[in-house]
Amino acid sequence: MDKLLTVTALRRVIQLTAFVFFVYGATIFTTFYTGDKLTQNLPALSCAYDQSGGDFCALIPLQHQMDHRVSTLFTQNAGVMEALMGTLITMGTVAVLILILNKAFCGWLCPLGFFQETITMIGTKLGLTQLGSLSRETVTKIRPIKWFIFLFLVLMLPLLTGIGFLGHEWGNPYCSICPSRIMTTAMTGDMSQVYISQASWGYFTLSLIADLLFGLMIALSLFVRQPFCRICPILPMQTLFKKIGLLRLVKNGNSHCDSCSSCVKACPMDIFEIQKHAINENITHSDCTLCGRCVEFCPHDGVMNVKYGPFTILTSSKVSFKKRTKIDKCWKG
Amino acid sequence: MKKTVLILLTAATLWGYGDGVVYWAPHGCDAGKKSASKHGGHGKGESTMFSLMNLEGNTSAHLILPDLSEKPLSFKANTVMLPKPSMGGYYAMVAKGYDTNSTYSAIRYLSQQGRPSKVSPTKLTALPKTNLEIVPDPLYREHDRYTATKAYRFLLHFQGKPLANTTVTLETHDTPAQTYTTDQAGAFSITLPNDFKNVQVGRSENKPSEFLLSTEHHDGEHLYKSSLTMPYSLNPNDYWQSQSYGAGAIFIGFLGGIFLYRRTKKGIKHG
Repeated sequence: MDKLLTVTALRRVIQLTAFVFFVYGATIFTTFYTGDKLTQNLPALSCAYDQSGGDFCALIPLQHQMDHRVSTLFTQNAGVMEALMGTLITMGTVAVLILILNKAFCGWLCPLGFFQETITMIGTKLGLTQLGSLSRETVTKIRPIKWFIFLFLVLMLPLLTGIGFLGHEWGNPYCSICPSRIMTTAMTGDMSQVYISQASWGYFTLSLIADLLFGLMIALSLFVRQPFCRICPILPMQTLFKKIGLLRLVKNGNSHCDSCSSCVKACPMDIFEIQKHAINENITHSDCTLCGRCVEFCPHDGVMNVKYGPFTILTSSKVSFKKRTKIDKCWKG
Repeated sequence: MKKTVLILLTAATLWGYGDGVVYWAPHGCDAGKKSASKHGGHGKGESTMFSLMNLEGNTSAHLILPDLSEKPLSFKANTVMLPKPSMGGYYAMVAKGYDTNSTYSAIRYLSQQGRPSKVSPTKLTALPKTNLEIVPDPLYREHDRYTATKAYRFLLHFQGKPLANTTVTLETHDTPAQTYTTDQAGAFSITLPNDFKNVQVGRSENKPSEFLLSTEHHDGEHLYKSSLTMPYSLNPNDYWQSQSYGAGAIFIGFLGGIFLYRRTKKGIKHG
């Protein structure tokens, strides 16, 4: 039994529990109504369109606030506090949640993250050739996309809609293309979010992108680790507060680090920067999901650590590296 | 026999929406604004004037606020004007009346925008409001709306307890009345009809319609009647949204991913 006790095994159990809570939680833990959800500002892609969910992500209130509240600064000469209060509450709640769990919301709690990882496991078991890591060039090219999505789809387009420059379909454009909307609703047996809209060119474009992206994400997940996470706008939002997070990845490197690269190979987000030499340094990158795989697969004692405040809760060691590598080989056949 | 059938047919022809039932409806000059269907749940564009149809004497009305406090509503003829909402959330309009042998009541829920009340909507629906009451289980969710071709569950309560094996009638303006019978838990489910006419493309281009649930129950010699009215909107998936095209687009996206897989596999093989 001890052989199976790994960080990844623990993470899978927590991910599954979180998935049940965030996708079906309204039936047990909260209620069907929006006002009764846990926070309504979760820094993970749990979708508000899923009416059975226990909580929903911060991106939908953020887009609505840009559309209906922040825009009143320009359209109705509203007071600054009146226009910004909703956004400040959302961002404040996100900041508190990040303080508690930092980016572990992605690696441990996000339903869409778990969905993609499950498909990757299926792909592995089907014998599909897995693309171990993306090249540095590819990763560097992909990284700005999430910032573009966050700035334009989550903030700018809803704001321009509220001001009156764009039609109503651009009021929550990120939700309109988000694969989590389709995944979580489908998981509750509600297929109403799978559609192509012919209401206008805007609705048509957004609905087409959503469906294509969802299909593409499923196919890519079969052989690439966490394809959608790489462009997810939750990451930039978390990055705004990651410095205050109590949970963090700390590296206390040694001279072997430059040549080893086990941590980079293990990282599902291909963060090549974690390989760099660092002495007792917080290396929680913008793309990091704090999954802990780099710690599991680091063969050196005490080099990679996950810390919570002053406490080290996970540290790399030769023993756990050997055990983890053996399990990984066994799993991949 | 022929005479009975003829009487029934004549009665069915003459019997219109809400005949013989006391129910709430948006006031004629204020009913069914298109904007109400634009962004359901925000309270924007919803009526603030309501008429109690088939109003009889000895009737009073009050508004239950999201924090469960009450405000009396005063009638001008059969119309009430709602006060400016002091908080956001669900409100319940309740009318109660009586005569010698019967008691009647009408309920309508509406959603208004504003400062959150911090009281769960479950408490508003669970709060006993009248002797005989049709309770949404649940009410449509904030930011949502009752929608055609979707199923919704309701409970029938008498004096706060489930009422089994009782008939409830569903009426809309353009579909013949349908009846449902409550189960042992006092529950019943309805599917709202898709009976919208002259549908325009785009949700904001179509006015919501109204549905009416009504029931009655004899307790000894006394007759209790109750109604619940709510607006409902058309379902875009019945008109300008195609689910089969959506499924097709997902499949194309999937094929795109498989194409990338084949290219990547070749790349890996060739180093």
